[in-house]
This record gives sequence, structure tokens and C-alpha cells, in this order.
Amino acid sequence: MAMFDQSKTVKLTGTVREFQWTNPHCYIQLVVKGDDGKATEWSLEMGAPMYLYAAGWRPGTLKNGTEISVSINPLKDGKPGGVVLTASTADGKPIGRGVPLNKATS
Amino acid sequence: MRAPLLAALILGLCAAPLAAKTATPQERGKALARLPNWNGYWLTENDETSIGGLAERSVQAKETGKSGPRAVMTLYGFGAPWNDEGKKRQALRGKYGGLKAMGWGYPIMMNAAAPLQFLITPEEVLIVNAYRDVRHIYTDGRKHPAPDDVWPTVWGDSIGHWEGDTLVVDTIQVKNPNIYFHGAPPFSEQAHYVERIRMVSPTRIEDAFTIEDPVTLSGPFTATVVYQPAEGFDRMISIDYDNDRTDYDDGGGTIEPPKDGK
Repeated sequence: MAMFDQSKTVKLTGTVREFQWTNPHCYIQLVVKGDDGKATEWSLEMGAPMYLYAAGWRPGTLKNGTEISVSINPLKDGKPGGVVLTASTADGKPIGRGVPLNKATS
Repeated sequence: MRAPLLAALILGLCAAPLAAKTATPQERGKALARLPNWNGYWLTENDETSIGGLAERSVQAKETGKSGPRAVMTLYGFGAPWNDEGKKRQALRGKYGGLKAMGWGYPIMMNAAAPLQFLITPEEVLIVNAYRDVRHIYTDGRKHPAPDDVWPTVWGDSIGHWEGDTLVVDTIQVKNPNIYFHGAPPFSEQAHYVERIRMVSPTRIEDAFTIEDPVTLSGPFTATVVYQPAEGFDRMISIDYDNDRTDYDDGGGTIEPPKDGK
């Protein structure tokens, strides 16, 4: 996780080009349009599929072409990428169950 | 032609190791009934993981500003009594540890942020995790293989026995765990691992480790790992490592482009 800047949180809204349900990480390829109308594809890293599964995600949860919003810690090297902190539908509903694994253990 | 074949068969049968008496289904059922039931999926305490693959404890601490239990795996061995060789290996682990994991392996699979399953039979206990790490712990009375018949592997060689409801496991011949998984402790192949595993309540299994290694430790390293029910799992899913896009070639780390090149 050292490659992500955990002191920065960036919010992105865009269109899913591809959702990679893969190991050891899942990835969202998200196409985001800037203020100038230019489209940039972001590579967004997620945890291993098991963590997403436990939180209610499934391989078919994100369809290509779906608009979503995410908050991420961006890559330190400035490339369009980051690690996903939260993900929601265009109307703000958390994707999956919206809860982490074993939330209430303390 | 038949006589030599028969002779060979007889010789072969004689040369085969003496098989343990095969239990009848009824006998085996009774033996199984005497053993504990640890069914279900278990996850190490404080190892919950967010959808981003971050330690949930760290995320919560950041959000609330309150520090909770450390989200650091006990078996990483930061508190182990390393000798000079162990300290040297620890330093190298931090500097050069492989950053593309191949799996977890033993012992760190017992402390991974991945669900575990304990399958208890009268003959052996299988411990399986979602990364397809599998331990065979033989409880049929056998010994470790002779020195010439065993070689170091990522999971080692394990035998066990029951002391009441406690499974006592003895493991040897583990390949330097750090070679397989970058976060694992860099013990030598001479390390000897003893575990006492017991379900202390329906929602808690404790695994007390004592690890000795003449090469890297100045004394025994003891650690207890606690397992709790892993929520959200209705089956064990294992998949291969088919898409590791983490790239540390430039030293700082980045995400490789998708393989479709678009």
C-alpha cells in the first residue's frame, strides 16, 4: 500500500469500462471526463475477490458502461490510478452491502 | 508369465508399508464423534479487510482518529527474539522482500487476512485457506518422515495428536517462509513449530505457537493467534493469481496498465 498516498482522498465519477474480478486484486477501469471534456482512464485497485465477496460484491456487480462514484487514495507517482476506499452508484447508494468484513468485532 | 507376475505382486504387497487397520464405517463414525467440530469459516482477529484491501482497523483508526488494536499480524514476528542472523534477515526482508506474493504458506497462512477452514477427521486435520494453502496434519499416529525422505516445502510436514479437545501440531521442514510471501518471518529450514489449537468458545479458536529456530532465534518465539467466524462467506472460493498488476520495478510502486492494453 506504500504506493498510494494515504494522506489524500480523491473523489471520481465516471463510467466503468471494465471490472476485473481477479486475484490478488480486483480492478475497476474507470473512464472519467475532466472539466475540459477530455476522458482519462483510471486504474483503480481493490482488494482480493474474497474481501469484495464478503462485503456483498459479486463478479457481475459492475457492468461495463455503468456510472459510479468512488473515493480513492491516489498513486504517489501521479499516474491515473489509486486504491478504492468507497464505491457508490450514481445516485449515491453504496455498492455491495456497503459494509466491511466483520465490522462489529470490537 | 503368470508365476513371475504373481511373485512380483506378492513381493510388492510385502514391501508395502503396513497399512493401519481400516476402520469400519461404524468404528470411524464413533471416532469422528469423539472429535471437536470446528466447522465454518474463520478469520484471524483484527484482520478484517476493506473492499480496497486495506486493513479495516487502519481505515477505522484514520476515520475516527482513535487507534484500536494494531492491525499487524502477530506471526510477522516483529516481537520475536531474533538473534544476529535473524535481525539480518529481518532487515533484508524489509528491503528486498518480494512484493508479488505467490500465496501465503506456513506459518503466515495461519495469520492471513483470509478465511480458514478446519476439516477434522479421525486420520488427519486439513486446514485450508482461500488462497488454496493446504496443511495436512496427520493424526493417525505416524511420525515425521526420515530425514532423507523429507524436504523443505512452503507448508512443511505436520503431524498431530489430540490432548482432550486440543489439537497439538508439530511441524518441521518449512522452506524459509519469507521466500514465498514477503510478509512472512524469515525463519530457517531448521525451525520447529509447535501449535496447540483449541476452540475456547463457539466463536473463538485459539492457536498458541511456540517456534524455535537455532539459526534465527535466540530463544523460543511464542505467539497466540485468535480466530473468529468470518462473516460474509457461504463457501470457500479459491482462485489463482491471474492478474497481479502491482509494479515495483521503478522502486516506488505503481499499477500496471490493464492487460488488454486499451
